[in-house]
Amino acid sequence: MKKQKLPLVYFMCLLLVGALLSAVPASENGYQVGDKARDFKLKNVDGKMVSMADFKDAKGFIVTFTCNSCPYSVAYEDRLIELHNTYAPKGYPLIAINPNDAKVSPRDSYEAMQVRAREKNFPFPYLLDGTQEITKTYGATRTPHIYIVQKQTDGSLKVAYIGTVDDNYKDAAKAEKKYAEEALNELVSGKPVSQPNTKAIGCTIKWKEA
Amino acid sequence: MTQKLNLLLASLLLLLLTATAAPAQDVKVIKFEDLKALRKNPADTLYVVNFWATWCKPCIKELPYFEAANQKYKNQPVKVILVSMDAVEDVDTRVRAFMQKRGLKSEVVLLDEVDGNSWIDKLEPKWSGAIPATMVFNNKRGRYEFREAEMTEAELMALIEKHK
Repeated sequence: MKKQKLPLVYFMCLLLVGALLSAVPASENGYQVGDKARDFKLKNVDGKMVSMADFKDAKGFIVTFTCNSCPYSVAYEDRLIELHNTYAPKGYPLIAINPNDAKVSPRDSYEAMQVRAREKNFPFPYLLDGTQEITKTYGATRTPHIYIVQKQTDGSLKVAYIGTVDDNYKDAAKAEKKYAEEALNELVSGKPVSQPNTKAIGCTIKWKEA
Repeated sequence: MTQKLNLLLASLLLLLLTATAAPAQDVKVIKFEDLKALRKNPADTLYVVNFWATWCKPCIKELPYFEAANQKYKNQPVKVILVSMDAVEDVDTRVRAFMQKRGLKSEVVLLDEVDGNSWIDKLEPKWSGAIPATMVFNNKRGRYEFREAEMTEAELMALIEKHK
């Protein structure tokens, strides 16, 4: 009887350690795949505030840190539109967040965002992270930087993919590995994401100057 | 005879033109394999490798510091290499033009790779892919440091002093 209790104690310890670890706020490096993602309430280009909680029927989100001023972001605009148009009907709408400080990067001002959203007719929200708090919490370092989050049965959001769109920033037609699409296809069909982390060259985020 | 003379004159003129044309600091287009070879170079030299692009504002801001380092350590085993992440299609119109305009003296190469995911982790797993980023290394002495950040001139010089 006593012998059986010991593994239980170990198990309880493990649980405790696990609970403690998950209670620790995200490090300065931000989220890793598997972490719980926090919701946000940020101003869209139409003036309205947007949260993930507003999308009752969504199964998850393609949270994309992107901007006006980075050529890589601009190169991916049409592909972001396509991702949204393909996956929003499957439960994964895209939400774009501009992380850049407009003082450091004037082309990323709220007004400039409104202009760009109109020009490109963005079918998704384009939000301004004015305090850069969400960008820091997620751990985005460059634009574009994608976080695909999946809604769990308890309503929380879990990070399922962090990375880039595909393997050719210059030419969508020449992209062979469509990393984000593959991850979304797997999520939509209830499979684990086989390549949950990818990297790409991007523009550094323009942090507020102290 | 006059024809021959004309031909001679024309060739002389051509020679003169090519010789007097500003010797453009050249940019070599490389692939990741070349970059990997550089990273593994066993020379007793501190390589200061900066990743930048003509469209990257913070990168351009710190380029003069790298130029200054290149000048300051020119008689020492320190080698500055500026790795442009510009598209290879822009090598003439943007990169060479930029180099001439700024009169860059450091060695410039252009990394022609479109899939960052295929090589970034192989070079430095800590790198998220944001530029500017800089690595310094002396493989002979086992020195290495990587920074994914914009640096001040003082920070760059301190980094070089620390490892050279």
